[in-house]
Amino acid sequence: MPWKERYTISDEKSLTDDEVRWPGGARCCVSITIDLSIAAGPSGIRATDLGTPPALFGMGQGLDAVLGILKRYDLKATFAVPAVIAHIYPDKIRAIAGAGNEIAAHGFKHEDVSSLEGADERERIAHTTAILADVTGRRPAGWFSLPRQGDPFAGGTISPNTMQLLIESGYTYMGNSLADDIPHYWVTDFASPQAILTLPYYYHFDDQFFLMFPRRGTGLEHPDALFRNWKAEFDAQYRRGRHFHMTLHPQHIGWCNRLQLLDDFLAHVRRFPDLWNPTGEECARYWLETYPASSYLKLEPSIWQDYPGSLS
Amino acid sequence: MTSLDRELEELREAAGAYGARHRFIPEFRYPPGVRIAVNFTLDFDSMLLRRLLNEPPMQLAKGEFGGRVGIWRLIELFDAHRVTATIFTPGRACELYPQALRAAARSGHEIADHMWEHRVPNEAELEEDHLSKTVAALEKISGRRPVGTRSSHSAALLRKDGYIYRSEGSADQRPHYELDENGENCLVNLPFHYVIDDAMFFSFAWLGSENQAQRVTDPERVFDIWWAAFRQQYGEGGYLNICMHPFVSGRALRVAMLDRLITRMKSLPGVWFPNCEQIARWCLEQFPPAGAS
Repeated sequence: MPWKERYTISDEKSLTDDEVRWPGGARCCVSITIDLSIAAGPSGIRATDLGTPPALFGMGQGLDAVLGILKRYDLKATFAVPAVIAHIYPDKIRAIAGAGNEIAAHGFKHEDVSSLEGADERERIAHTTAILADVTGRRPAGWFSLPRQGDPFAGGTISPNTMQLLIESGYTYMGNSLADDIPHYWVTDFASPQAILTLPYYYHFDDQFFLMFPRRGTGLEHPDALFRNWKAEFDAQYRRGRHFHMTLHPQHIGWCNRLQLLDDFLAHVRRFPDLWNPTGEECARYWLETYPASSYLKLEPSIWQDYPGSLS
Repeated sequence: MTSLDRELEELREAAGAYGARHRFIPEFRYPPGVRIAVNFTLDFDSMLLRRLLNEPPMQLAKGEFGGRVGIWRLIELFDAHRVTATIFTPGRACELYPQALRAAARSGHEIADHMWEHRVPNEAELEEDHLSKTVAALEKISGRRPVGTRSSHSAALLRKDGYIYRSEGSADQRPHYELDENGENCLVNLPFHYVIDDAMFFSFAWLGSENQAQRVTDPERVFDIWWAAFRQQYGEGGYLNICMHPFVSGRALRVAMLDRLITRMKSLPGVWFPNCEQIARWCLEQFPPAGAS
């Protein structure tokens, strides 16, 4: 691709539907991310966020309900866990992992790192990695930076250094990028080239943007739209044989009518044969082995020219 | 004349001056057998507008989906339905997605102007420079000079470069003519309305909108709105211009919705899917603007 720094993060063209293959001849990949952050906005999880009923519900009855539904439909998920949540609830995190789910890192306290100095961010990544490794007995393979309801954009916040720091910190994958709907490489250095594998995320399949959004008490409730988006995307991706991904928050989806919505949707999904339901790590390892960057990332030098009066 | 009367007169003149810049076509009709023309138009800005607005990395990645994935799916969809689309393309996109644009041109889709880098500079000289750069880039990639634009470029510059139409605004539901402030440089306008624009329904933080105003609806609801718009215009022998962004409508769930929408449109007799240039030329040949240069 005509690579262009600060415009593109990957190559020019995605894999076609025909090129996408899943283990054991599975027809479609279904992956679920469960976000255990209760950060309201860019400052990350604050004491005031933790001292709220939704915080208790999200790590209590809401979480139990979501885990119960996953078990009932025999589905695994990747839990994106801020270090502070693992520190406060180590037993719950171990129980989630013990049920076959993946524990991935979700920042120190799910704060906005976009303006942090490199050294500061590196330190936060190292500290977060150590806390999660200590709680689960295993280094996390994946890192997430998911959006919060109070963010100005619904894509998650990263700094210009984040992806490179994750590579240097030994992460196998980054959990959320919007440039594709299958796993794809996020290039950090064109010349070498160097890249980290990212997994697809899209806010239209993230419960928090439909359920009392933008914040509880003032937001609007659109569970019907959420359900139709999930269903339309799953059906379309199943036909294409690609990848369906959804993001859930126990404090939102665990509550009465919404829990029924999740139940109904997963019942729909389970009516389809030949699904592959990996954790983020399993998906990433399969992808790295089957579609290695060395042969599948097709970067071409930039053909961009700089002109006076134009963006560079 | 009192000051109140003067104010009334000024307002009347303002309305009159704007009205005088438009020539509607009450006798507008299509070739025999056609009841409605539907233009599918893509605004192919991928991450360029996000970059122009200095938005953060994930916003750019969201736009990149349009170039890596979305544009290809939409070309495939249009080709499968034998729909000829118009792709309003920033000149810069030719340096980012040359493969997709060549493929679109090969399939017979029209490549038209969507500014150089998704802005019209205020400085006249720079505006001319941006426009001519875009003409050159689009001609090089598609093999044809663009004749249409979705932009607010000055009509005088557009006419000088050989443009015949613009697709912006909604002063009338059918194709019509617009003149510049001096009553000159007439262009066909192929009206576009925000109700028939995917970004109004699906794009988070479109043009700096607040979180309270987010577009988080679903394809079924938009299908209903667009089908209702089509049905109403079909009944009138009218016109529909459906504006889409590949990073929005190229998502799998929305391509599936468009597939259903086009299939349903095709189930009625007399539905024509030309590109914008074909409609503009039809207007100029059959209903030339009276007394306009």
